Amino acid sequence: MVNGLNLLFQFLDSFAFIVLAAAGLAIIFGIMGVINLAHGEFIMVGAYATTLANIRAGLPLPAAMLVGVLVTAGFGLVVERVVISGTVPNALSQRFLGRKVIEPLYDRLADSMVATWGLSLIMVQGVRITLGNSLDQIGTPLGNIAYSGFSYSTYRVMLAAVALGVLALTYYVFTRTEYGMRARATIQDEDTARALGVDTERTYMTTFAIGSGLAGLTGALYAPTITMVPGLGSSFLVEAFVAVVVGGPSVVLGTTLAGGLLGAINATVSNVLGTFFGRIALLVTAIVMIRFLPDGITGFVETLRERRQEGA
Amino acid sequence: MATETSGAGPADAGDSGALAGLRSRFEGPNTVGNSRGFWVGFLVAVLALAAYPFVVGSYQASRFSLFLVYAFLGLSLSVVWGYAGVLSFGQVVFFGVAGYTFGVVSVNFATPAGITGAFLVGVFGGALMAFVLGYFMIYGGVRNVYVTIITLVSTLVLHTFMAQTAGDEWTIGEAALGGFNGMPTIPNLAFGVGGASITFSSMTFYYLVLGLLVATYLGLRALVNSDYGRVMVAVREDEDRTRMFGYDVERVKLAVFTLGGALAGLSGVLYAAWGNYMSPGVFELTFASLPVIWVSVGGRKTLLGAVTATVGIEFLRNSLGGELAFVIVGVLLLVFILGLPGGIVPWVHRTYVEMRSDGATPEPPEASAEVSD
Amino acid sequence: MTDGLTNRRGFLASSAALAGTALAGCSGGSASGDDTLTLGVLEDRSGNFALVGDPKHKASMLAIEEINNDGGIDGKQIEVFDPDPQSDNQRYQELTRRAINQKNVDALWAGYSSATREAIRPIIDREDQLYFYTTQYEGGVCDKNVFAVGPTARQQLGSVLPYLVEEYGPKIYTIAADYNFGQLSADWVKVLADENDAEVIGEEFIPLSNSQFGSTINRIQSAEPDFVMSMLVGANHTSFYEQKASAGLDVPIGTSTAMAQGYEHRRLDPPAMANIYAGVNYMEEIPTNRNTSDGGFVDRYYEKFPDAPYLNEEAENNYFSIYMYKKAVEQAGTTEQPEVREALESGITYEAPEAPDGESIKLDGATHHVDHHMWVMRADDQHNVEAVDDRVIPETFLSETVGCDLTQEDEETQYTPQDFYEEAG
Repeated sequence: MVNGLNLLFQFLDSFAFIVLAAAGLAIIFGIMGVINLAHGEFIMVGAYATTLANIRAGLPLPAAMLVGVLVTAGFGLVVERVVISGTVPNALSQRFLGRKVIEPLYDRLADSMVATWGLSLIMVQGVRITLGNSLDQIGTPLGNIAYSGFSYSTYRVMLAAVALGVLALTYYVFTRTEYGMRARATIQDEDTARALGVDTERTYMTTFAIGSGLAGLTGALYAPTITMVPGLGSSFLVEAFVAVVVGGPSVVLGTTLAGGLLGAINATVSNVLGTFFGRIALLVTAIVMIRFLPDGITGFVETLRERRQEGA
Repeated sequence: MATETSGAGPADAGDSGALAGLRSRFEGPNTVGNSRGFWVGFLVAVLALAAYPFVVGSYQASRFSLFLVYAFLGLSLSVVWGYAGVLSFGQVVFFGVAGYTFGVVSVNFATPAGITGAFLVGVFGGALMAFVLGYFMIYGGVRNVYVTIITLVSTLVLHTFMAQTAGDEWTIGEAALGGFNGMPTIPNLAFGVGGASITFSSMTFYYLVLGLLVATYLGLRALVNSDYGRVMVAVREDEDRTRMFGYDVERVKLAVFTLGGALAGLSGVLYAAWGNYMSPGVFELTFASLPVIWVSVGGRKTLLGAVTATVGIEFLRNSLGGELAFVIVGVLLLVFILGLPGGIVPWVHRTYVEMRSDGATPEPPEASAEVSD
Repeated sequence: MTDGLTNRRGFLASSAALAGTALAGCSGGSASGDDTLTLGVLEDRSGNFALVGDPKHKASMLAIEEINNDGGIDGKQIEVFDPDPQSDNQRYQELTRRAINQKNVDALWAGYSSATREAIRPIIDREDQLYFYTTQYEGGVCDKNVFAVGPTARQQLGSVLPYLVEEYGPKIYTIAADYNFGQLSADWVKVLADENDAEVIGEEFIPLSNSQFGSTINRIQSAEPDFVMSMLVGANHTSFYEQKASAGLDVPIGTSTAMAQGYEHRRLDPPAMANIYAGVNYMEEIPTNRNTSDGGFVDRYYEKFPDAPYLNEEAENNYFSIYMYKKAVEQAGTTEQPEVREALESGITYEAPEAPDGESIKLDGATHHVDHHMWVMRADDQHNVEAVDDRVIPETFLSETVGCDLTQEDEETQYTPQDFYEEAG
């Protein structure tokens, strides 16, 4: 019984981590076809901004987290304009050379990997040079839940609720707002969307900013629990990529299901066999899932649905 | 259908039949450089590389030979990705497995014959690993995008696994895998049996690697420009159409993937012999991304691009010290991938061709411009 | 037009002068001349180990500056070859070769992690280069070229474990990083537990990349140990302390890795590191006169580096080993490496900051290790650190158990406790 409660908390912890790590990446990869290898560094920006706002500027934690999100979203906007779509360099080159020099990175998986890899090098080293090898850390708020000899950090369990909230919010944004409709139209068929008057450029820009903002949120939320070193992003990267791939094309549902499945496996195996096997189990599950469901979970669901419609 | 001699400039009509015939094997739409000018330049470059150790000394030559060793890794990715369309993050898996295999076998059989055997077993190990992984993925119908992710995840699994092989139970014969600390005391490479053998170190190692690299490059050029090479490119461009023409696409992809594994394995064995050391660091994400970076910047659809970019980028990375080193490398990557997305070598080639055709003798339509875009 | 000519002539003249100066400057960078010697210091200032490598570099520079200001070694000024290896073992290999072959360094200090040491040891042994490895490590290296002057796991754990058994009880739970250092340290915990009538009731090994410790914390709680021995390593593992504090886990923790190297007690919010006992030979806070008095080691370090965040364990190891090298050269009367090695093996002592007044630490010639003055340092709820125990712990594994005697027999191996102790196996 007690171990069941342990397992529940560990699962919620793992679920939250995977979902929050993957959220921003799923949006950017799913909608723009860009693999952002600097995703971990965006998380780092959010965590650093939050920590600096809280410790150096003295803002209360929730306000500091908001600062973290906004700073990262703003940074994402800049990156999108300069690197991903190349609008700013193109505008400049148009003026001086009379032609565009950069193609947007949308749907160019390999090229976006190289570009964002370069970006991540610049970000990590840039932060190291300007802010040093580490920052002082914010303490974890909210105490703990104690039960018959065990205890779990309340904050970490609460993150699971936050993760669900993020998913719900993303779902709302993508299905109920103007922007969401435009974004889904652009994913489905960019040319038609543009022909129908959708400003696809602005849609991409907003999408990247939202994805970056979500990464910043992850950083902000986890800032009180991890060490603030410039390379902190790399500990999120594996889970993020694995979840995005296992989840499949549907951003919200895929991330939720992937978080649930991988979180459950990781938590259960860690609980029984230790963290080493938990990690191996996570990675092996990913490989097996991709082998048997190459389109991810939601892709598989889609195929089933199509097949059933055809059969009916 | 382009003929075998397409791409040979009219200026080479004066070559004797035998030379033209020999050259035609290495030229074609799938590689850069199909003129006499190119081959002269190539010869000059090879001679310059051969003279290099005498100019800079054995220490610098030894340092440079590491970059040449990496060139095999770059070539392996170029073959698999640029020519068969499979972006694999896992080339370092075969690199590492081959290196460790070489280490284990050569530490246990530290005679020249044993080391020669270790060399062969190592390369074979890399190829075998690629065959197994490739079979799993390709015949499982995994799409190319997810092949990338699976190979990346395999790299991480191997890293996590190898990093904890520290205990004494992880010893194969005399060779302790060493876990995170790695396996030191791997002997230098040697070929031959007993007395009639050569051991390679520093200068001799440099020449061995250079020789192997030139041979491999030419061999791959021949392969890629042959009929089989066209099938590879067809698979890269459009799998379904190629399948409809009756080609066994899965078999081609698996064969190419295995070849890539062998090349990566060769790189890994040479690497282990160069540093006399092997560690799980080769399975880290940072190192696994490097081949992708080299090949993207150089031009993945050209073998020359893979080689030059690998050597160039690693030389640059290695030479830059100080705080700003990473920043400079990052900026360079950004600039090159955004400005020259096809890679440097194709761009140089295109510019050169354009310059040559300005008022010079008319060239036959370059089939290469259509296929290897 | 005359202006233009003068300008051009002036330009030519000044560029010639510039070129001349540049060429003159180019003549250096080679073997030790008659009045200089060259030391190689390869310490990480970027990459994964920058946090712990940077103080090592700084303290080395401090020692060298002090020695140079004092007249140098035997009248010779010290020149330094200190590029940044960027926590990259390949760079280490390449820079080690450069240091030995191009710069002809008279002695080399290099590397933070054991992996780095093992990556360059083949080169060191091939070239017979005098090499100081200054990080705390698992112990067992018996190599004629290597002077491992950092504390070994047996020394560190051997200082804190007996103290905690006496204070809290015999039931121990071990958590360690899942690689060589962590696994070997866990073996030492078992050996020491046996020697102190204690028992290891549970062990867990955590991959270096792991930063989530929920299940680990629950397992510790379910085992109900008297105290925990922690050999966690790296930035990811530092999160454990924050997470255990927020989960309300307050069991005392003994460690060889935390606080002294990465100054977690300064970086983390209290009370994350409360009740943590570090067994170390040096931390910025150890209460010796040489360390904390006015003009002591700490003062001198911050005077030279006012922006440094901390003066860590390994920094002191670099510092005193450079001074030991100086003593050895002066004793040998030459910088030739075989003679210096012999001098080092004759039993050099030095009044290091880690030792109280009147005491010095000794480099054991037979094993190339140091008999350290060990401290048990405890952090309280406010992260104030104080010493609760201290004594000299000599190196015993190589000298007594293995029988490594480098003055008699040249060796190049690393020994592990498993081969010698039943308990560790």
